[in-house]
Amino acid sequence: MAMLSFEKKYRTRGGTLIGGDLFDFWIGPFYVGFFGVATIFFATLGTALCVYGAAIGEGLAGQTWNLWQINIAPPPLEYGLGFAPMTEGGLWQAITICAIGAFVAWALRQAEISRKLGMGYHVPVAYGVAILAYVTLVVVRPVLMGAWGHGFPYGIISHLDWVSNVGYQYLHFHYNPAHMIAVSFFFTTTFALGLHGSLILSVTNPKKGDPVRSSEHENTYFRDTIGYSIGAIGIHRLGLFLALNAGIWSAICIVISGPFWTRGWPEWWAWWLNLPIWS
Amino acid sequence: MKTRGLSLMASGALLFAAGCELPPVDAVDMGFRGVGMQHVVNPGTLQDSVQAIAARAPTISGEAPADMVPAPEGTWENVQVLGHLSEAEFNRFMLNMTIWVAQNTGQGCNYCHVVDDQGQVNFVSDDIYTKVVSRDMIRMTQDINTNWSSHVGDVGVNCWTCHQGEALPTNYWFFAEDGRRDIQRYFVNEQDRQIERYNLDETGVRVISQVPLRGDSDNRISTNDTRHAYWVMLQMSEALGVNCTYCHTSARFSDWEESPPARVHALRGVRMVRAMNESYMLPLQTTWPENRLGPLGDGPKMQCATCHIGAYKPQFSNPASYGAGHPALTRIGVPHGGSSDAMMTMGLEGTQGMP
Repeated sequence: MAMLSFEKKYRTRGGTLIGGDLFDFWIGPFYVGFFGVATIFFATLGTALCVYGAAIGEGLAGQTWNLWQINIAPPPLEYGLGFAPMTEGGLWQAITICAIGAFVAWALRQAEISRKLGMGYHVPVAYGVAILAYVTLVVVRPVLMGAWGHGFPYGIISHLDWVSNVGYQYLHFHYNPAHMIAVSFFFTTTFALGLHGSLILSVTNPKKGDPVRSSEHENTYFRDTIGYSIGAIGIHRLGLFLALNAGIWSAICIVISGPFWTRGWPEWWAWWLNLPIWS
Repeated sequence: MKTRGLSLMASGALLFAAGCELPPVDAVDMGFRGVGMQHVVNPGTLQDSVQAIAARAPTISGEAPADMVPAPEGTWENVQVLGHLSEAEFNRFMLNMTIWVAQNTGQGCNYCHVVDDQGQVNFVSDDIYTKVVSRDMIRMTQDINTNWSSHVGDVGVNCWTCHQGEALPTNYWFFAEDGRRDIQRYFVNEQDRQIERYNLDETGVRVISQVPLRGDSDNRISTNDTRHAYWVMLQMSEALGVNCTYCHTSARFSDWEESPPARVHALRGVRMVRAMNESYMLPLQTTWPENRLGPLGDGPKMQCATCHIGAYKPQFSNPASYGAGHPALTRIGVPHGGSSDAMMTMGLEGTQGMP
């Protein structure tokens, strides 16, 4: 398989986190590594368990191959933080272990590649935030609330039902302060990406016959329109900051709903009305 | 700089903690596992707790006789709704009622029974309004326990369920000049008051369009009506200490088939409260003294919270709140000296036949 001119530079041995030279090789363009093998193991097993769950129809919809309705549901609350029988949420528990195993192994594989490249750990850290959000939903919050049954179900429609019902459990989720912040970060992320993407597309696609523009043009455009240009590296730092915060505040907004607040979110704002300034 | 940042963070964390609760929480599934149909409460922050209720629950004196013979004619004078009791049970009920309602008035029997010029308690007299109201409240409780078991179940209610030892239950309501009257008008039939807009029967909160994605559908419900429906729902949510998913699946709020059974129970409760307001609370209008009237001159009326007081089951089902075990309250009473045939006939009537 063809190799890019600079690929040789980082196809170096070593830098592994575990197992020394074990699996320290490439298959075609793909680095394997111990964590690559672990990822494939967990991902395959987890997917197989999902298919098994669909085959026996352990969810609310019964047996179905309708992709929208397949549902792998967590155990009933009565099992608390214990193991549940396979057809009553045990499958969900096993799939959750596989999912976390696959996600974490993938992050560690990214870390190994970062070490081979001699670069920082930005990529695994950023991906780790996505894992954090998932683990918050299916591990941290259920543990804080005392039952695996507080995790969300694995199914396209069923997880939407979960989101909707859990939202209304707190009357009006838009009053959740961390949800407000998370939503703002999500919108700001897409807004920043829209600005940045359109800028890059316009400087790299000039009029026929004109040369491709440089970063001076990029800076000039934003200095002209909003008086400031954050710069070529800066926009990527800002993008990372916005995107990670969207994930982090999402995790916060759900972990406080239940463990740290059980009433309606609108009611939480009573502290504002009760401030000694005007109350 | 570092110190300032730290102290800022610390005060931020404190502010956050002040507005929050702490785990653990109690939760029960209200639907299939995993779809988020759950009732979640923090036992530490409930308006009321099982322990607090147990601590203040009154001791019921004595026990109702298994086989009760009504007191012989001539035992009492002016007993209009408790004629089905034996003398012993009558006296036991009077004692319990004093604890349930007049405990904190410091007046004991005299809260409802006047002292005459000779310094004797005149049990016959209706000269004090509290006695007249009590009689109507006994009638109301008999009606609830006899005809509304669809809402109060077999255990029923007694005076303490709402009164909690106080002369006035905590969550009565008046018409008010502010917006909250919209919620409260849900509980009385306002037809005779000519306020059409807020004259809502149980269909009045059904604001969701039945035809999807059509701007020209027949749904003429205004934003104001929708806001009103939201208020009605929120007062129930507050009164019972529950959230939307206690009675609804959020994907299809209006669909009865997918709603938890609690929603049917709630609807019966709403009908019961309306009936009680119309049959008992509104007719007492002329009986109340001025200091019991609201800012617009109307008497106190009831709502969900009057009995529920923040609990999905009143008093979290503490037996002290049960009507069962109190024959005075579990059947429609008759005037003293009335026959047991009369009892049976009256038992079949109830609210439907009331004015």
